[in-house]
Amino acid sequence: MSGAVGREPVFPTRQSLGLMKSKLKGAETGHSLLKRKSEALTKRFREITRRIDEAKRKMGRVMQIAAFSLAEVSYAVGGDIGYQVQESAKQARFRVRAKQENVSGVFLPQFESYTQEGVNDFALTGLGKGGQQIQRCRETYARAVETLVELASLQTAFLILDEVIKVVNRRVNAIEHVIIPRTENTIKYINSELDELDREEFYRLKKVSGKKQRDNAAADAEILAARKKAEAEEAAGAVAAAEPEAAPEAADVLGEQEDNDVIF
Amino acid sequence: MEGLFFNVNGGFVEGIVRGYRNSLLTGQNYSNLTQCETIDDVKLQLGPAYGDFLASLPPNPSTSALAGKMTDKLVSEFRYLVAQSVGSTAKFLEYLTYGYMIDNIALLITGTLHERDTRELLERCHPLGWFETLPVLCVATNIEELYNSVLIETPLAPYFKGSLSHHDLDELNIEIVRNTLYKNYLEDFYNFVQTHPDFSGPTQEIMSEILQFEADRRAINITLNSFGTELSKQERRKLYPEFGNLYPEGSLMLSRAEDVEGVALAVSAVSDYKSFFDAVGLSQGGGGLGGMGGGPADGKSLEDLFYQKEMEMSKFVFTRQFTPAVVYAWMKLKEQEIRNVTWISECIAQNQKERIGNFISVF
Repeated sequence: MSGAVGREPVFPTRQSLGLMKSKLKGAETGHSLLKRKSEALTKRFREITRRIDEAKRKMGRVMQIAAFSLAEVSYAVGGDIGYQVQESAKQARFRVRAKQENVSGVFLPQFESYTQEGVNDFALTGLGKGGQQIQRCRETYARAVETLVELASLQTAFLILDEVIKVVNRRVNAIEHVIIPRTENTIKYINSELDELDREEFYRLKKVSGKKQRDNAAADAEILAARKKAEAEEAAGAVAAAEPEAAPEAADVLGEQEDNDVIF
Repeated sequence: MEGLFFNVNGGFVEGIVRGYRNSLLTGQNYSNLTQCETIDDVKLQLGPAYGDFLASLPPNPSTSALAGKMTDKLVSEFRYLVAQSVGSTAKFLEYLTYGYMIDNIALLITGTLHERDTRELLERCHPLGWFETLPVLCVATNIEELYNSVLIETPLAPYFKGSLSHHDLDELNIEIVRNTLYKNYLEDFYNFVQTHPDFSGPTQEIMSEILQFEADRRAINITLNSFGTELSKQERRKLYPEFGNLYPEGSLMLSRAEDVEGVALAVSAVSDYKSFFDAVGLSQGGGGLGGMGGGPADGKSLEDLFYQKEMEMSKFVFTRQFTPAVVYAWMKLKEQEIRNVTWISECIAQNQKERIGNFISVF
């Protein structure tokens, strides 16, 4: 998994490590925030779905009643009043107002219906007969349209929320499965590179100090040998047996130096 | 004595109408119709009475298509009667169509006022209200032209004369124009049956009664429907026909009525109307808006009661002889039948069987 995500093209420096760490922290905060937003939206979404269900059922009932009241009108009037009503209607009595509602940063349009009182363009239709049925039918249809407006506002919110929830979820998933692992990978990579650098540095230091030690040891040995030589020369006349001992000792020191070299 | 020579001219028409009357749906037919599950069943049940006219309907027709076909049958039968009638009977039948003409003209005036293409409206006109010069109305493009050169040529010209100017057509609500015309028409019709020598016998009696009822019904309806609108009392009063059981005292009281109680008080002099108002319990105006169909508990509205009364009167017309009034009665019965069938099929189509019995059957 983490291998597929890869890492970001950065130079493994301490500065970029710091950058990455703050980026990871930011990503985690963003993730939790977005997750919460998505949950809030989903909650709202479910509520709207439920209300749409209710509204649709209500619409079915109301439209049926309305259609039936129209049947009543045609019974009472005994003719077609459609044309008269169409022609005499000049002003809208039933109006719709749109507002916006903010649900965790998403603007949902809301339609609100209201009736303009006093506007009644076809009040006189069916004056001779059926007028009351016509007015009653109008009231029934006004209620039906109210339900439709409610439904329309819910449906619009439904669509917008659906879109927004998809986007938010995509972001949440991207952060969770791409950005965070990649940043972690990068941090790991930088860490390993830095460790490598540390080890190289340590080796170099060790090597330098070893070299210094060897040089010191060589210098010491030289001084020691010179001193021994001087002592030997001093005692050459006096002690003849000591001479053969000095030569193997010097060879031994050299051997030791050789060994040290191999170990380093 | 008055029947001695009636059959010379009017006998055939009367005979035909009595035959038509027998094809009206009876209570038995209606109870069969209410049992139907689909519109197709309704169509099947109507088969014997309507025969060919329903044959061209597609399976499961809409209720309006069904009603249209039924109206077609009424129209063709009526046209046959018109073709067979002569003299005063022909004139009487012509009067019957004036009511539809008023509706048609009102439709065309509406179209002209709103500058629509009135030719399209010709299809919407009621075929019974068709007259030769009706298409000419479409030529007029503005109201003044319509009034000055076209309406004069229509049979309705006398009804415009004296009560409506072309300014009225422009300014008044079309419903007021329509009801003014209708008022003039009713008065003219009433005058016609009262004064025509051929109708001195049963026709005068029957038609006077029916037309008086019609006039009263219109007056009451206009009053009830005008509550809460911008129609003033003076204007309202002008729309009341100037005859009928309520005229003049009742009309005066109606014109002053401000609510349903006032109307009930105004009509209380006539026992029939009083009983109607008692039956619906004055709940017409306010309570009606609440529930759908609302109003009285037994499901009958004032309008239903009026229709019922009209149907009873039309039914009794057939007990009289030697009169063209049977044609009027038959037409009213037939129209009610079409409304009934439309209502029943609407109830079936919309699956609202609980109020399916809300029709009016008198046979």
